[in-house]
Order: sequence, then C-alpha cells, then structure tokens
Amino acid sequence: MRKATLLAVILLAAAAGAFAVPADVTYADGDATLKLKSGKTQDVQVGDKMNTGDTLRTGKDGLAELDQGGVTIKINSGTVFTLMEREAGGKTQTVLSMALGSIKYKYGKISGSEPQVRTNGAAAGVRGTEFTVFAGADGSTLFAVDSGQVDVESEGKTVQLTAAQGVEVPLGQPPGEVVPLHSDQIDYSKWNDDKLSAMLSDPLAAVQNIQTTLSGYVKDANDYFTLLQQYREKLADEQKKLADIRAQKGSQEGSKYADEVVNPILTQTINLGLNVRFSALAALSLRRFVGGRLYVMMKEKYIVQQDDPAYQQFLSQYAGMLSSFEGSIVPFLVQADI
Amino acid sequence: MASCAILLALSSCASLQRSSDQGAVKDVAELINAGQVQKLAAMSETPFLVDQEIVSLKADVESFWNGVVKAGFRVQGAALEEAVPADAASYAQFANTFEVKSFFSSYVQKGSRVLRMSTSGGKHILLLVKSDWFSKKLIGFKGPF
Repeated sequence: MRKATLLAVILLAAAAGAFAVPADVTYADGDATLKLKSGKTQDVQVGDKMNTGDTLRTGKDGLAELDQGGVTIKINSGTVFTLMEREAGGKTQTVLSMALGSIKYKYGKISGSEPQVRTNGAAAGVRGTEFTVFAGADGSTLFAVDSGQVDVESEGKTVQLTAAQGVEVPLGQPPGEVVPLHSDQIDYSKWNDDKLSAMLSDPLAAVQNIQTTLSGYVKDANDYFTLLQQYREKLADEQKKLADIRAQKGSQEGSKYADEVVNPILTQTINLGLNVRFSALAALSLRRFVGGRLYVMMKEKYIVQQDDPAYQQFLSQYAGMLSSFEGSIVPFLVQADI
Repeated sequence: MASCAILLALSSCASLQRSSDQGAVKDVAELINAGQVQKLAAMSETPFLVDQEIVSLKADVESFWNGVVKAGFRVQGAALEEAVPADAASYAQFANTFEVKSFFSSYVQKGSRVLRMSTSGGKHILLLVKSDWFSKKLIGFKGPF
C-alpha cells in the first residue's frame, strides 16, 4: 500500500519534471562507479550526468569531481555520495548526501538557495564558499570550513562555523564544541580509524546510536506519509471538481481553477512524497553504511568465537534494529533502492 | 537409442556441474585456509552478500576476507553438502528480508549456484557462486552456522 502510494507520487513528480539540477562529472580517476536510481551500475566517465537518486562510489584509488549548478564537489577516495532532494519551506531543495568518506565543496557564488549538505547524522546549511565534510565509519561527521560560513545542525542544535573552524558531530548527538581547524590539518584515515576503534570497543552503544537516529527518520517518514495520504485524497477531490468546472464553465475557468487550487496541491503532494522517500533513503544509507559495516566487522572479529556472550548480545541487539528497519522503513523502499 | 543418448548427456552434464560445484567449495576453503586474502578478494564481486548484509564497496569485501583470515578462521574438512541453482526463492537461505530478496532479484544472475558446504566441526557455510566456462565469482557468503 505504502509502496504503491509512493510509486504513484514518484510518477507524478517525474511527469511534473520536479527533479533537482543534475550534477555533471568533470573529472574521474581510478575506481569510481555510479549506481543509477534505476538500480544499474556503471563506471564513471567525464561527461556523465548524475541525477537525483543516483549514487557515486569511489574505491581506494578513486577520485571524482562534479559540478552541480555552480557547486564544485571534489569526491575523495572511499566515499559514497548521493544526489537527493527534499522539500523545505515550500521549495524543492537539492541535498548533497554522503554516507562515508570525505568531500570538499566549493561554491562559486552564494544565491541563497544553496543545496543542503548532509551525512548520516548531520546537516549543513551553506552560506560559505569552501569547506570539507568527513563522514566516519561510526556515523560521526567532521566539518572543516576553509572560507565563508556554514551552519551545522544535528538533533535540533545548530552551530555556526566560519573560516578556519571545525566541529565534530557524533551520530545521534548535537554538534560538539567549535574548534580552530583547517581541512588540510585532518588525516581522514587516522580520524576514521579512531572512530572505528571506538565503535568496535562498544558495539552495543553503536547499535543504540544507529537505532536512535533511525527512529528519527522513521518518525519523519511516517509523519510525511500521513500528510501525503491526506493531500492525495484532497488532490483527487479537486481533480474531480476541476473536471466538472471544465465541463460546465469551459477551459478558461478550468485553467484558472487548476492554477489557483489544483496545481499548488499537486506540488505539495509531490513534495511530501519526496520527503517520505528522502527520510527512507537516509535511513537506508545509515543502516547500510554504518550498521551493515559494523555487523560485518563484528562478524570478522568473532568468527571463531561465535558463542562469546558479548557477540551474542550484539547479535540480539542488532537483530532488533534490523527488525525495526524491516517493519518501518522497508515499506517506503523499492527494489531499485537496494 | 536416442533416449539413452539423452540420458547419457544429461548425466554427463550433472556430473560436470557436480564437479564444478565441488571445485568451487574446495577452492574457497583452500584460499581461506592458506590466508589468500588477495585471491579471495579478487574472486569476490560487489555487491557482495555477507549473511543478510549487502557489502557495496570493494575495499570492504577485501577487508572482510582480511578480517576473517586474521581472526584465525579455517575451514577444516570442507565438503559439498548440497548445490542448487539460485532462484527467486533462494534469498530465504541467506535471510528473509526485503534487502536480501532485492539483492537476489537485482544482482544474482541466471546460472548462479547456492552451495552448502559442511565442515568437520559440524558447521555449515553457504556460498553464492556465479560461474561460467572460464571463471568462478563469489557473490555471497553465509556462516559458519
């Protein structure tokens, strides 16, 4: 039922051309692949277009650079980057989302409607020109601003960063203390290894953090979906009225009614659908690139001592998280998302 | 006479398939036991299934094999227990989830096999193998259970 409703809204969005500005691949080197929204995977080539819902992944020796409406996005090795969109303040907003790795963003000019930059656990509103985002294996995020201004938000708290400042955001927590930092000072590999060690030393807390953040996405998806259903009913009613008006009063009156009443409801319906999908895909990214990787690393660690109580406890808690994901997020996903 | 020839050909095909399946099990067990991480990584494709988890990054697949070998995991007395073609219902052998079901629908090609391996310790391992005339590729691993 939920999948069918969402599919209908995705089709509506496609028909209305309501998708974000694509990103053009301007540079690609080494292992870099593009997973298209359709589910197909291809090697990245200069000149490729990355559309909403597509994911670019770089391997150990992979690099890529994109141009998205004047924003230069330099994707470093070991990164997973997805072009998404959502509705914010009545407008469709592009979201530059990364699940893992590091990306340097450079804005050519500030127009006031910049894309939002997100990781699994934090979001950044951009009023600056150059900054780098590091996404760790445990879902933590590190922001470092080279110039301009960036507002970092997580768990309802926002901090403002200016040039040569940085902040770390642990998964499921508000941003920490703003510290003096330049992106060149950060050794991503070391920072990520430290995050990984900390996560593996307390895997139960890590699963709890994932579960907490997932719960937020579940709540958002459900809230938007409830509203979406209401808007779909409203839209169906108004489309019937529109047909009556056209039949009784002619096409001119019909067009007026469409512009003033039906189309704004259609736009809002599409936006709500985008937000449901956005929440579900963000949850999938967290589950896959933080939760799934934690599971595999725990499996490696305990593969010859599977009866260890600590491992059994982890498996039990992890199974709870998976069950919750299956019941609450999967209804909003389609096969191509996987 | 013709039916005998068909039976002979079928039995020959089945025996070739069995031999290929046994070879895959033996190869994987030997590579694990010899700690051949690079070769295991090279014969593994992405996305790669570990139990119910879809591993999307090549580096993570290599890291998985490295971790497994480093932990001291060995497969003693590996033997092919069962081999079946991977079909739409095979996902349930790995995990009964939407993600694994989608993985099988999207990434497991026709001709792939689910191989159930037994070990001398009484445990079992599932391998998901894609093979053609020239090579075998591993696309999933479950166990030991």
